[in-house]
Amino acid sequence: MEKLSQIIIKLKWIIVTSVLALTIFFGYQTQFLTINSDILSSLPDDDPAASLYKEIGTQFGGNDMGMIVLESDNVFKTEILQHIKQITDSLRYTDGVSTVTSLTNILDIKSSEWGIEIGKLVDEYNLPNKQSQLDSLKNYVFSKEMYKGAIVSEDGTATVVMFTLLPDADKQAVAKMIKSKVENLNLPETLYFGGLPMMMNDISDLILSDIVWLLPIVFVIIALILLLSFKSFRGVLLPLLTAGIAVIWTIGIMVVTGYELTIISNIIPVVLLALGSAYTIHVLNSINQSKEKDRKQALIKALTYIIIPVILAAVTTAIGFVSFVFGAYLTMIKDFGIFTAVGTLIALLLSIFFVPALISAFSMYRKKIETDQPEKENILTHKILQPLVTLLFKHPKYSLTAWGILLLLSIGGMFFIKTSVNMADYFKKDNPTRVSEDVMQKKFGGSLPVFVVFEGDMQSPEVLKMMIKTEHFMKEDPNIDMTQSVADLVEQMNDAMGEGKMIPDDKAKIEQLWFLLDGQDVMTQLVSEDLDKGIIQSRFASVETKNIDEFTSKMNKFIQENKSENIKLELTGMPSVYVKLNNSLIQSQYSSLIIAIIMVLLIVGLMLRSISKGVYATIPIIATILILFGFMGITGIPLDIATVLVGSIALGIGIDYSIHIITGFNFHLKETGDAEKAIEKTILSSGNAVIINVLSVAAGFLVLIFSQIVPLQNFGILVAISMFGSGIGALTLLPVILILTNRKRKIVANNHKQ
Amino acid sequence: MKIQTVVLTALIVAGSMFSANAQDASTILKKMDDVMYSPKDMTGKNKIILIDKNGKQEIREATIQQKGTDKRIFRFTAPASQSGIAVLSLPNDVMYLYLPAFGKERRIATSAKNQNFAGTDFSYDDMESVLFSVKYTPKLVKTEGNVYVLELTPIGGKSDYSKVIVRVNKTNYYPESMEYYDKGNNKIKEARYTFKKIGNYWNAAEIEMTDLKKNHKTKMQMSDVKYDTGLTDDDFTVRKLKQ
Repeated sequence: MEKLSQIIIKLKWIIVTSVLALTIFFGYQTQFLTINSDILSSLPDDDPAASLYKEIGTQFGGNDMGMIVLESDNVFKTEILQHIKQITDSLRYTDGVSTVTSLTNILDIKSSEWGIEIGKLVDEYNLPNKQSQLDSLKNYVFSKEMYKGAIVSEDGTATVVMFTLLPDADKQAVAKMIKSKVENLNLPETLYFGGLPMMMNDISDLILSDIVWLLPIVFVIIALILLLSFKSFRGVLLPLLTAGIAVIWTIGIMVVTGYELTIISNIIPVVLLALGSAYTIHVLNSINQSKEKDRKQALIKALTYIIIPVILAAVTTAIGFVSFVFGAYLTMIKDFGIFTAVGTLIALLLSIFFVPALISAFSMYRKKIETDQPEKENILTHKILQPLVTLLFKHPKYSLTAWGILLLLSIGGMFFIKTSVNMADYFKKDNPTRVSEDVMQKKFGGSLPVFVVFEGDMQSPEVLKMMIKTEHFMKEDPNIDMTQSVADLVEQMNDAMGEGKMIPDDKAKIEQLWFLLDGQDVMTQLVSEDLDKGIIQSRFASVETKNIDEFTSKMNKFIQENKSENIKLELTGMPSVYVKLNNSLIQSQYSSLIIAIIMVLLIVGLMLRSISKGVYATIPIIATILILFGFMGITGIPLDIATVLVGSIALGIGIDYSIHIITGFNFHLKETGDAEKAIEKTILSSGNAVIINVLSVAAGFLVLIFSQIVPLQNFGILVAISMFGSGIGALTLLPVILILTNRKRKIVANNHKQ
Repeated sequence: MKIQTVVLTALIVAGSMFSANAQDASTILKKMDDVMYSPKDMTGKNKIILIDKNGKQEIREATIQQKGTDKRIFRFTAPASQSGIAVLSLPNDVMYLYLPAFGKERRIATSAKNQNFAGTDFSYDDMESVLFSVKYTPKLVKTEGNVYVLELTPIGGKSDYSKVIVRVNKTNYYPESMEYYDKGNNKIKEARYTFKKIGNYWNAAEIEMTDLKKNHKTKMQMSDVKYDTGLTDDDFTVRKLKQ
């Protein structure tokens, strides 16, 4: 290690210039960073539910359904119809839009005594303008199941314009374009924009403004904490500089390797700022404490001492992040894990190579080397750590019991943990997007698309009848308001031919009814060109996990019972995806935590050359994770795509505190030979650093409270809590365990002596 | 054909060539209408080839009878599942459909003229034999090689198109191509015409319509065309439809 340190100092100029060059290169790349807020693109391709859902999108003109709701006191007015037509037209002529369905262009099949009228519900070139026409339109719309509550709300005060996007369209750009086009129409009615494409667009706006607002705040807060603890310009500059460079490199690497910023990875800068500064802090701390007179020698010595612990701290943290790669379902969570780990390692390398090189190159040594002010007593040691030590030694068992009670409470709380995968929950309650989703849900049966995919001969009576049967079954669920399929159209056509609203038994009849349907816009959304696949389209009104679960399991049972050689049925859509996501949240939480715990245990055990000490070190962090989940259960903070990250991150960062305490204990034990003294010394000396570290990391993450995305707010709170938990655990629970095990050993040893 | 007729035709053609520069857009369009809609009646076979974006073809066949510009019977002969289906179009948007599997005819009204006809890339609007000079206001954009380029604007705004660009053959006044623009001013469809002279008339032997948005193509090919065989109104009745 000493050799390495010497080499670092020798090559200082090369290091400094290459860091500078790389930073310029990656900094240049960052401008090409794009944001992808599409949660669907993050579904893994090897998952059948997800890939079917994506496939539907390409085959049936887009699964990305957007909705614009127009609300007024009564939509059956000429002027409002005119406005709906305006919206419809402006959507129709937007690039990237696949289909548009609205009151003014929806296909209508009317049968009358004299024949069939296939046409539009409303003649868009001759909108009804007499009260009698409007009244009869209203009556007709409310008489037909396929319109009532589907295209016009049941109270007649709102109507919806639905659109789907082309599969290869840039969804966010199209959504943005649609929104601005429609807003520019300056319509007097209240408009709501909803559906996934719209939500994604809004989320990505929020992501951008989050980054712009939050990063500087994190910067300032960490700078303040650094200033307070180091009281020097260097102490503020170097940690922030390395963290900042780590952020730039990480983002640059993301761009170069072709990754996009997602709703998750947008917190990478915040995480890296909060964490990346830590390693430099350790290095600086070590340099500050060195008492060598020769500056260069002091630097080398300090470096030699700190390299191993810093590597260990960074590697355990990186493991916490890497554990997502193995456990996560969403690719964006994996990506987050990889790049945060990369960023952590970059911060590590910078703190070991760049910081000493920079100090040496620019002679950024401290102006005066502080000569022994023996055990500079500060408020922290005096008011907190000293009493703490006294308490721990007096009542180790009480302390343990207190922890026991806390943990029991937490375990109890864990049973109340909820999960949330609903996109709308990501917005604050008063956010317009959230409000829109509520309106969609109340008036139009939600915006979550549901599809049942049928494989078979779409013109066979058997398949079409099964479609009708399935639709009836679906509608029994209170959360399904409308369904649409080609079977409905065939039934209506059959009715129009005067043979009743049913699927004809004769295939020849179906084929001939098809003749009229062929070429209608809606057909490409319902059946494949080869007529071997068709879908039932529907929407699900609830976003409650319970309702979604119930519906999907009921549907899957129905599908199992009804599929046959000639008909293959499959359920897909957002509810299915949500169920998958939901299960995966819990699963990935387990697997990434277990992987992280085992890895950390192994590494810490190896480093300390003692498995039992490895176990002791992990106890506070496991306790912290229990408290974390207990807290989530009690406060109702749900497990979602952001909060699912907290456990492993807490483990990766929190373990550092335990490592500090245990290594300190080992060091002082060797020095004094007395375990109790060693513990006291360790708490008094390392306690300071731990507390400062907890405060700075927690403060950095707490900034996320100001995020506009709810899961990120929760994420910030939870990481902060974990930091406190693991810090306090390392300072109380761990020493108590050490005290008790040492007392036991003493007793055993004494017994042996006798 | 008598020599006199040939000479006469040649004279007329030559004469119109000389006066070409002086012609205004509406004269050109009227002449195009004359070329397209002058036969008293027509019978023939129609082959409809649908080509999807992967190049896959689907073929339908039908016989056509037409009288004037506003009476027409389309009778499908292939594929088997559609064989016998017949569509009778009468003036004023009156249409009857006969489905042999039901043994019944029904009057159908398509208030939505922008919908495609029976899976083709032709909308009901495109299929209508209403004179172009009635539906559109023309503007001569330029003359180019052997064509006049006309820009047609729909009259009355009841169309899905914002404009149609037609290239009219300078010599014979049949359209060579039409480009359809939507209201966002995007070119959405394109038709290419191949005309052949049959008897006294120019016949659209093939019309190839491409839907540029869907990347889907329809070719309509005419064969066995006979003109002026003396069809009467009685050939265009519901009773005839069912035969």
